[in-house]
Amino acid sequence: MRINQLINNHSFTLLTNTPDDVLINNVVACDLLSHVMANADEGDVLITVLNNINVLGVASLLDLSLVIFSYNINVDDSIILKANELNIPLFKSNLTTAEVVYLLKEMDKTIE
Amino acid sequence: MDFQIERNDIANAGTVSSLTKRHLKKRGLSRSFVKRVTIGVYEAEINVVIHSYGGTANLNIENDYVEIEFKDVGPGIECISTAMQEGFSTASPYAIENGFGAGMGLPNIKSVSDEMYLDSSEDGTTLRIRFYIKDEDYENKPINK
Ligand SMILES: Nc1ncnc2c1ncn2[C@@H]1O[C@H](COP(=O)(O)OP(=O)(O)OP(=O)(O)O)[C@@H](O)[C@H]1O
Ligand SMILES: [Mg+2]
Repeated sequence: MRINQLINNHSFTLLTNTPDDVLINNVVACDLLSHVMANADEGDVLITVLNNINVLGVASLLDLSLVIFSYNINVDDSIILKANELNIPLFKSNLTTAEVVYLLKEMDKTIE
Repeated sequence: MDFQIERNDIANAGTVSSLTKRHLKKRGLSRSFVKRVTIGVYEAEINVVIHSYGGTANLNIENDYVEIEFKDVGPGIECISTAMQEGFSTASPYAIENGFGAGMGLPNIKSVSDEMYLDSSEDGTTLRIRFYIKDEDYENKPINK
């Protein structure tokens, strides 16, 4: 799946600048960063409710493709600013974490 | 290379690991090798930020290994074998709010590193982790090797 598919889907709102149309690898849904650190890989999308600058630290260390904030949580402007600096696309969704996973899976049957 | 790590400075947590990552990539080390080191350094650096009164990190990159030593000034780990167990955590509400406290950091460090030395007393904790570089860990041969 490619990032443009998210941009064109009304369930997701892009919070950062328009990104390059990169390829998304796998899906990781987790709110504990050590678990993300141990289990996520380059190109993965992270779904989380952590409104937190450390999410960007982990995303950039692991070269994740993008982050989706679920449950319509508030995302601080400082995080969006920093994400633009680091070139990490951020999306927001009204859906629950589980619903985002289902939807992504439906959008791309190759994601396990 | 020496770094200062401040207590509770969550905004800058990750600095040591991202600089380490950059240096290793520059040396032409493979993605999987760099990832192992990055995970280990990140977890160790976060532990100093959220559990200690502050400390230092020393990064040493040799031709055949990478070693990073973290030293802090307390309060220390009460029982190392307990702390090494997956899921054990004494993380503060502040740390948990910031996404830490799964009790996975030390086990992660153990699993990604080749050697791990951990010693602790009330006066502080020393953690040394080493990663051996094998020939196949070079993606591109460094110029001076
Ligand atoms: N530098 C340190 N100083 C004092 N205590 C420490 C230090 N590092 C680890 N500990 C103790 O060991 C416990 C386990 O550490 P570990 O990194 O495995 O988990 P955590 O930091 O609590 O959670 P996580 O790493 O998953 O976010 C900590 O909760 C803390 O009690
Ligand atoms: Mg930890």
